[in-house]
Parts: sequence; C-alpha cells; structure tokens
Amino acid sequence: MLENYFPILLFIIVGLAVGVAPIVLGKLVSPNRPDGEKNSPYECGFEAFEDARMKFDVRYYLVAILFILFDLEIAFLFPWAVVLQEIGLFGFLAMLVFLGILVVGFVYEWMKGALEWE
Amino acid sequence: MMDAAQNLLGPLWPVVWTMVKIVAIVLPLMGAVAYLTLAERKVIGFMQVRLGPNRVGYGGLLQPVADGLKLLMKEIIIPTAANRTLFLLGPVLAIAPAFAAWAVVPFDLTLVLADIDAGLLYILAMTSVGVYGVIIAGWASNSKYAFLGSLRSAAQIVSYEIAMGFALVGVLMSANSLNLGKIVLAQSGGFWQWYWLPLFPLFIVYFISAVAETNRAPFDVAEGESEIVAGFHVEYSGMAFAVFFLAEYANMILVAMLAALMFLGGWLSPVPFLPDSILWLLFKVAALLFFFLWFRATFPRYRYDQIMRLGWKVFIPVTLVWILFVGGMMQTRWAYLFH
Amino acid sequence: MIFQDYVFYALAAILLFAGLRVITARNPVHAALFLVLAFFTAAGIWLLLEAEFLAIALVLVYVGAVMVLFLFVVMMLDINLDKLREGFWNALPIALPIGLLMAAEMVMILGSKHFSPDMMSTPTPRPAGYSNTAELGRQLYTDYLLPFELASVVLLVAIVAAIALTLRERKDSKFIDPAEQVKVKRADRIRIVSMPSEKEIIPVTAEAVEEKKK
Repeated sequence: MLENYFPILLFIIVGLAVGVAPIVLGKLVSPNRPDGEKNSPYECGFEAFEDARMKFDVRYYLVAILFILFDLEIAFLFPWAVVLQEIGLFGFLAMLVFLGILVVGFVYEWMKGALEWE
Repeated sequence: MMDAAQNLLGPLWPVVWTMVKIVAIVLPLMGAVAYLTLAERKVIGFMQVRLGPNRVGYGGLLQPVADGLKLLMKEIIIPTAANRTLFLLGPVLAIAPAFAAWAVVPFDLTLVLADIDAGLLYILAMTSVGVYGVIIAGWASNSKYAFLGSLRSAAQIVSYEIAMGFALVGVLMSANSLNLGKIVLAQSGGFWQWYWLPLFPLFIVYFISAVAETNRAPFDVAEGESEIVAGFHVEYSGMAFAVFFLAEYANMILVAMLAALMFLGGWLSPVPFLPDSILWLLFKVAALLFFFLWFRATFPRYRYDQIMRLGWKVFIPVTLVWILFVGGMMQTRWAYLFH
Repeated sequence: MIFQDYVFYALAAILLFAGLRVITARNPVHAALFLVLAFFTAAGIWLLLEAEFLAIALVLVYVGAVMVLFLFVVMMLDINLDKLREGFWNALPIALPIGLLMAAEMVMILGSKHFSPDMMSTPTPRPAGYSNTAELGRQLYTDYLLPFELASVVLLVAIVAAIALTLRERKDSKFIDPAEQVKVKRADRIRIVSMPSEKEIIPVTAEAVEEKKK
C-alpha cells in the first residue's frame, strides 16, 4: 500500500517546486528598484492611514467554526458511503439517527439567523 | 532501453521513473493552464463580439507565451509593510496543492500515477489546504484590500467546501469506493449509466460549488476588481502574481476533471460502438471548462450575502436530502438505479 | 524497507522542529503555521503506519478546517505580544515543575514494559487493494455504533455553543430583507391627500427670503 504513496510524496515536492521556481526565476531576471512610494501598501493613491490588520465581524469566526463541524460530519460520512452496501439497512438507519441529530443543530442555526449574512 | 537505464541507476531508478511520470503530467498541465487563459480571452471576446488577442503569433496563439515572458521581466514588489517570508510563501502554498492533487487523477484505465484507495479523500484534503495560500497572502500583504479579499475568499471557500463534500458522498454511495478509477468503472455502460443522471442534484451542486471554490465569476467577490481592486493578490506583481494566476487555472482544470470523472464517466465512451479513450476525458473536461468561461461572460457578480445564502441555505439542505434519498432508495428494490 | 525508515526519521525531525517552533516563534501567525506543518508531517507518519483514512482525515479536518479557524483568530485579533510575555518569569516557578512532572509521567508510561516496542508485533504490510476506509466503515457503524451516535450529540452541542457564543445582532446593519421589499404595498409608501388648489403665486425674491429668515 505504501509504495502507492511514494509518487504522492514526490508530487507534493514537485508542487512546491512549481511554486518556488517561478518566483526565484522572476527574482533573478526581473529588475529590483525599490522605492518608498512604490513599496507602500496600495490604498488607491492615499497614504495608508492605519494598520490593515483590523478586527472584523465575528460572523467570519462563526462560519469557520460551523465549517469545522460540518467538515467532521463529512469525515464521518465518507467511510459510511463506501460500505453502505455491506452494512445495509442497519447502517442506513445508524446514519439517519446521526444526521437527524445534526439536522436539529442545522435547523437551530438557521432559525437563530446564524446563516443570515447582513 | 528502459532496462539499460534501470541497470544504470540501480536503486534510484524508481525515483527517476516516477519523476519522469510526474513531469509528463505537470508539463501538459502547465500548457493547458497557459492555453486556458488564451481560450478564456478568446471565448469571452467572441461572446462580446470582439476578436480577443490576435496579434502575437498566428491568431494570437503565442499570447500566453508573451504574457509569461512579460510577467517574468516584471519586478516582484514586496511592500515594506508586508511580512516578507509569508508574502512569498502565499503563492507557493496556493499552487502546491493545486498541482499535488493531480497525483491520483486517473487519465485512463491504467494511466494513473498513484493508484491509492483513498484517492477522492486525498483530493478533497488537498483542495482544502489551498485556502492557506489565500489567507496568508491577504494577511502578509498588510493591505486593507488584500485583507478583506482574503477574508471573504476564505469564508466563501470553506462554505462551499461543505456542499462539495456532501456532493462527493453521494458519488461514494453509488460507487462504493474512494478510488477515482473504480468510480469511473462503476459508471460503465454508456451515457445513461453515468452518475449525472441518478445524482443530478449533486452534480449541479458540485459544479456550482466548484465555480465558487475556484473563486471564479460569478462568485469572484474575493477579487471584485470594482470594489476591492484585486482582493488578496493586490500587492503581488511579476512572477509572484503569475503563480497565483497559475494556481487558479490549475484548480479550475482540476475541478472540471473531477466533475468529468465522477459524474460524466471519465474516459468512458457515451455510446457502445465507440471505444473508450482518454480523448473522451479531455473532451469532457474541455466542455466543462467552456462552462466556466461562459459563466464569466454571462452572469453578473453575486453579492456576498447571496453567495453565503446559496452555499449554506440551498446547497447543504439539497445535498443532505438527496444523500438520504439515495441511501433510502438503496435499501429498496430500486437500488440498481443508483449504482 | 530501509527507505521507509528514512522517511520516518525525516518526518519525525520535521515534526519535532515544527513543534518546537510552535512554542518558540515570536509571531503567533508563524506559530500557527508551524502547527499546520506539524499536523501535516504527523499525517505523513500516520500514513507510514498504514492508517490511510485517518492520515488524510487529519489533513482534511485539522489542516483544512481547524487550523483555518486558528489562523483567523491569531491573525485578526490584535494580540499584544509583550503583554502575553510579561507573566513568563512569574509563572515559571510553577510551570516548570508541572511541565517536568508531566514529562516524567509520560516517560514512565511509555517507557514501561507495556508500551515497549517488543510488546507490539510488527504489522504485516497490507496488499495494494486493501481499503482502510472500508474497514473503518465496517467497524464504526456496527460495532461502535453508540460512540458514533454520541459523536453527533457532541457536534450538536458544539453547534449550539458556537452560536450562543458568537451570534450578536448588529445594530449598524443596513441589511434589507428582499422579501419585505417585495411585500410592500402601495399604501405603505404613498398617501394621497386632497388639498385645495393653490390660488395665488407669491413671487420669491431675495428680499422675501431675507425677511423670512428674520
């Protein structure tokens, strides 16, 4: 089994190289003329007037948390989907209960307006 | 000749041979990416009754080469306020997963680099890693537009990843395997046996999510040139920008390839009297990519709240219902319809 | 098999280095990214143990989801680094013995005869067609049904908690519900008032305006 993963290891390294090589090449070939104005953050011609890293809407955190939970749900669904034919009705009902409980959460989320983006 | 090389290299032979195969995937992929950019400009040009680029080479055929050379000669500006290391790491992290995911893509019955059992899971994991490039680029640039763009983009990508994941679960249920080659083989039997038919809602959800995942129009609020200039890569120039560009197009081809493999029968022929061939796969991918370009030429940009609503309130319920429907049907005597 | 050992040691070295950098890096964003690297290499080590599904799920869930949230938090909350570091020397007299104690406990457990490498038989390498995912599925939804269902309850609690903690009504929201817009009737917007028609038109001159102001 492991020998099948060897090309993947190599491919990940190649993927990184595909990202690094053009940048290194560009650094070597292209001119480098730094300039205070040119290297300032772009803000439509204005001087940047405060740090760009500001606090932002808590909603983004909520989306991230909900994403983790649903991602876990998907991780549970994957092995189930693969063996559904073998475990048959019993397996289907097991997942029905699992999803049913989570749908309660989803409905709660919906009703609370957590999915509302205003 | 191969035996001679094998003897010469000894224990290094598998490494070299695998590298050759990887290059045989990566180089055509790069070419496809380059010419997809030209195709995009040409197709959108014709849709808007223009000619598109037509000066460099015959009918503009050398335009991507010219673009590449131009970007190569441009200075890579690193803003003084930026975090240098992370700023340069961003594009690398964007493109590495977009390419690494290709390791498990089967092009034909035997033409696959890494025939692993959990292929689909691996691809899903790789695409989920791609979001780091966007987040890091936006934060490291230390620019407001970049920051806003990356935030929007990250939230959008993760939202649609859920819908995408659920859509994949449906395919797994039908195919009983995570291996992409086996998923294709499970669809053998002609056009009406492909999964687009029994899993039609999932196919639609998958394809639209794929457009949103790759930040393409009409879901391109992360770039939104008319409001946040260019989003997360506003501070990037030269080759650093080009790498982001490559990553976006490589991702487009990847998701189109996945859609073709999972829902449109991969390399299988639609009719019994024609042989299965990799050409079918390439044709299907090209057709799906045409849709990407068509969408961009046709649809106005979605508003951000509409994007989030579509992802969470439409796609997730639709996929959940369809998964349970398919799962339920599989317990009945109509199960054969969904395999 | 020697090649696998090399891969293991390389991954282990990267993992240790990344783990060390997570707690020593000055910039919390760097620390979070090193944690990503640590998860990634840990996934590689799991893969060497032929736990295919778990390894990729680790990347999918931890790298692809949990760390995205971590990064969101450390990037966007302005954490004052110096303030965090202030308590370092005060806490050291307590923290150091506790840390050492925990390390000693771990060594005692892992070093005992129950965990020594001789206790474990070498797993037989699986054939190429072996599906780790399917094996997991067969176990999880039948033999381990109760823990599996309980997991959904845990996730439900997490959903509710996340909403309870973060959901706030924004007062400055300019959001308009399209449904409300569509439902608007003519009567909501205009009112027809019958008035007598104007009789006389008073010419507006500069003097008249001035006078009005007074």
